[in-house]
Amino acid sequence: MSIDTQADDETADARIAEGNAAHDQERHHDGGEGHGGGGDGGGHHESPEVVDGRQRMAIWLFIGGDMVILAGLLFTYLYLRGTNTEGHWMNMVGYTGHPWSYYYNVLFVKGGSLPNPTTVSVNPVSAGFYWFVTLVTVVSAGIIWFGEKRLRASRDAKSFVPIASLATVVALVALVLTIVQLRQIPEIFVTQNDSAYMAYTSYSSAILVLEGSALIHMVVLAFLGLGLSIRASRGVISGDKWYQVRLVRLFWVWVAISSVIVAAVVTTVNTIH
Amino acid sequence: MTTTLEHTAVAEESQGGGLARYQNAGTAVAGGVLFAFLFWLIARKTMDPTGEAFNDQVTTILGCGWIIGFWFGIGAFNGPMRWLLGRDHSRADDLYYAGHNQGRARYWKYTTDHKVVGVQYIIVTMGLLGVGGLLAMAIRTELIMPGNHFVNQQVYNAFISLHGMIMILALIVAIAGPWANFVMPIMIGARDMAFPRLNALSLWTLVSAASLLVAVAAVGGLTMGWVVLAPITDQNGVGMDLFALTIVVFAVSSTVGGVNVVCTILTMRTKGMTLERVPIFVWGAITTSALALYAFPFFFLVEVLQLLDRNVATSFFVSGGGGTGWLQANLFWLMGHPEVYVILTPAVAACFEIAAVMARKPVFSYRTAVAAMVGLSGLSILVWAHHMFTSGWAPTLGGPFMVTTEIISIPTGLFFLVLIGTLWRGHIWMKLPTIWMFGFIANFIIGGITGIYLSDIPIDNQLHGTMFVTAHFHYIFVGSVLFGAVAALAFWFPKVTGRFLDEFLGRISFWLVFIGVQVTFLAMFASGLKGMPRRVSSYSVIFDHTNLITTIGAYIIMSGMLVLLGAIIKSWGHGEPSGPNPWHANSLEWMVPTPPPLENFDVMPVITEDPYNFREEMVRS
Repeated sequence: MSIDTQADDETADARIAEGNAAHDQERHHDGGEGHGGGGDGGGHHESPEVVDGRQRMAIWLFIGGDMVILAGLLFTYLYLRGTNTEGHWMNMVGYTGHPWSYYYNVLFVKGGSLPNPTTVSVNPVSAGFYWFVTLVTVVSAGIIWFGEKRLRASRDAKSFVPIASLATVVALVALVLTIVQLRQIPEIFVTQNDSAYMAYTSYSSAILVLEGSALIHMVVLAFLGLGLSIRASRGVISGDKWYQVRLVRLFWVWVAISSVIVAAVVTTVNTIH
Repeated sequence: MTTTLEHTAVAEESQGGGLARYQNAGTAVAGGVLFAFLFWLIARKTMDPTGEAFNDQVTTILGCGWIIGFWFGIGAFNGPMRWLLGRDHSRADDLYYAGHNQGRARYWKYTTDHKVVGVQYIIVTMGLLGVGGLLAMAIRTELIMPGNHFVNQQVYNAFISLHGMIMILALIVAIAGPWANFVMPIMIGARDMAFPRLNALSLWTLVSAASLLVAVAAVGGLTMGWVVLAPITDQNGVGMDLFALTIVVFAVSSTVGGVNVVCTILTMRTKGMTLERVPIFVWGAITTSALALYAFPFFFLVEVLQLLDRNVATSFFVSGGGGTGWLQANLFWLMGHPEVYVILTPAVAACFEIAAVMARKPVFSYRTAVAAMVGLSGLSILVWAHHMFTSGWAPTLGGPFMVTTEIISIPTGLFFLVLIGTLWRGHIWMKLPTIWMFGFIANFIIGGITGIYLSDIPIDNQLHGTMFVTAHFHYIFVGSVLFGAVAALAFWFPKVTGRFLDEFLGRISFWLVFIGVQVTFLAMFASGLKGMPRRVSSYSVIFDHTNLITTIGAYIIMSGMLVLLGAIIKSWGHGEPSGPNPWHANSLEWMVPTPPPLENFDVMPVITEDPYNFREEMVRS
């Protein structure tokens, strides 16, 4: 391998000095990772744009991994529906029992003994509520996108703080709504061989993991949104240093898109095939 | 050699690091134990003790406590918290995290220098191989004669499962871990990985997961093989919960590592280092990492679903609730087969590298080599169902999956073409790396060809679940990947330590392991052809001779590995000094001092030709 060193010693010293200055700037530009980094000219000569390009690639790769998980989750949902093992996609055919809420009412609200158990039936989750949660998620993504555009256009970091905070609050609302949604997933008490136990049908299981995944994403969004707000208020993000906002926005928008995809699948493909 | 950072930051150095100054492997373990205990207490208080899943829930929560506490203790949360609070690292912090002037202590910390991470991977890999190897010897000792009962059947099953999973984890990181970290950034002319803190995170996440996996043995073990197919997992105790948690964390580790490697290679090459000029090992690293990014999310998902089934009464894989084991099998093998190539490709790429340098010739048809690695990775995602030929799942798809599996023999054949073409009429330097590389080639032929047999449905129907399959994949994993890993270790050992790996002991080790592999696994093929099933602790007397031979072979392998361990320990401190470029190679890692300084280069190189352009006089010498 034939190699040219880029410069003689004198020029190299100048490059090093320049590089160290750039290093300082980069550190405060974007919270750059690690102790150096490379790229075309090596760690000390990298522009924020080079660092941003690298970080954007990383975000896309992480989103790619997340896409694989989403594909696996949807595969799970559709596979369970398609196979409908033992007729249990939604209804525990052949088993006797009651919805959990029925037991709850009998035992803890109204009191008294249980009537004869009947075949358990699970209803699909509320399509309206599912789309409402999705809408809130999409709105939060829209807010952060708007904030980024405004920041890049106006270079006014001060005005970005309330926008990032608003997006965070909306993400938190989506998070709370997702928790409410999780609590509405139909559980059942199954009675079998003189014992009773709580279980989810395969439909409820698939919904549970999809909503659980959404919940974890909301927690991440809330963390990122809060971080952007704090960093903007501390001046770490400014009119010239907006790259991390774009990185966060990319992930935020992906979460919104994935919410739409999931909502579309579970609210339209929700009957036994 | 002083580095650019050192020139300007020495004065600030004493101020850097913050909390990380007090964090190391010891605080990680302490944090893990403390959090595990706290989480265990909370779980016991909050979970329903009369519930069927009580023990699973307590164990899972305890395992989560270990992981979170370990990460706190090692410093994995420092970076995210500082980002959240807008207090980014100063240069002094970065220098501290890079392990500057910390001596050997930096190997026990959340150090970001890629070379330290590479050495940490070597140690972790050797530790895992040691534990997995001991379990292998226990298994073979149990099988030395029919009706033997050194251990009971449940313990035997636990040994089988843990041996499998520990070895899989070890081999996944055996080559990509050390060398995609230690040498790859230097090879491409980068000062470090793209995301040094993520690099440390990937390593320590792996350590936290691996320790959890070893802990599985303490809670009753895992008794249904490393593939843990449902619904038999229902019969396993709480070891299954820790196992699933291990895989979830390991998938995070490999994803983070994969992103880092891909970004480093695609965005951090020095001037002139085009993708056609990168050393071939770099292509191995990027294809492996990209494949891992596709495969391991499935591993993550399938174990999350297992945890949910066991802990919160979902019904993904439980047919009584509407789930199906075939879902689990599909999700698992969507990961499971690509994972084989995640393990194999770095070994192949390292052998390409060694063949070119030691034969003083360019890689034969470089583009073919790249196409073979990329093609193999791409095809590997289309073959998963050949693991399910005999399961009864979708019989009509058997034909297409048989064809896609057999097509894989084309890129695999190209590997041999490239290797033999590179060596052909070369001035082969028969040093330790070369010898282990030849061992790789010989064993890979046997492992590869028997794989073609098994992809054929009629033969698979006969041999599925027999020792033949076990012998086949051991020829791949032990005969090929382990030989490639040792070849890579012998090749780059001088760059890490400044010393040669002891040639004499290394050759003794090679012959012991090579002969041991043939004795062990050829006899195992014979057991399989006679119909001996896998995963049994006792067997009919008709299999006694071949099992005795197999066990003798296993002990020969073990003795060879112990000699290798002795060679490594001896050479690391007192080996023959090697100088910076003992193999007279042209790629960048050999152009920097040994050991390479922090940030590798004072002045960035500009590349003007490929790394295999060996000059005539160099070839003659």
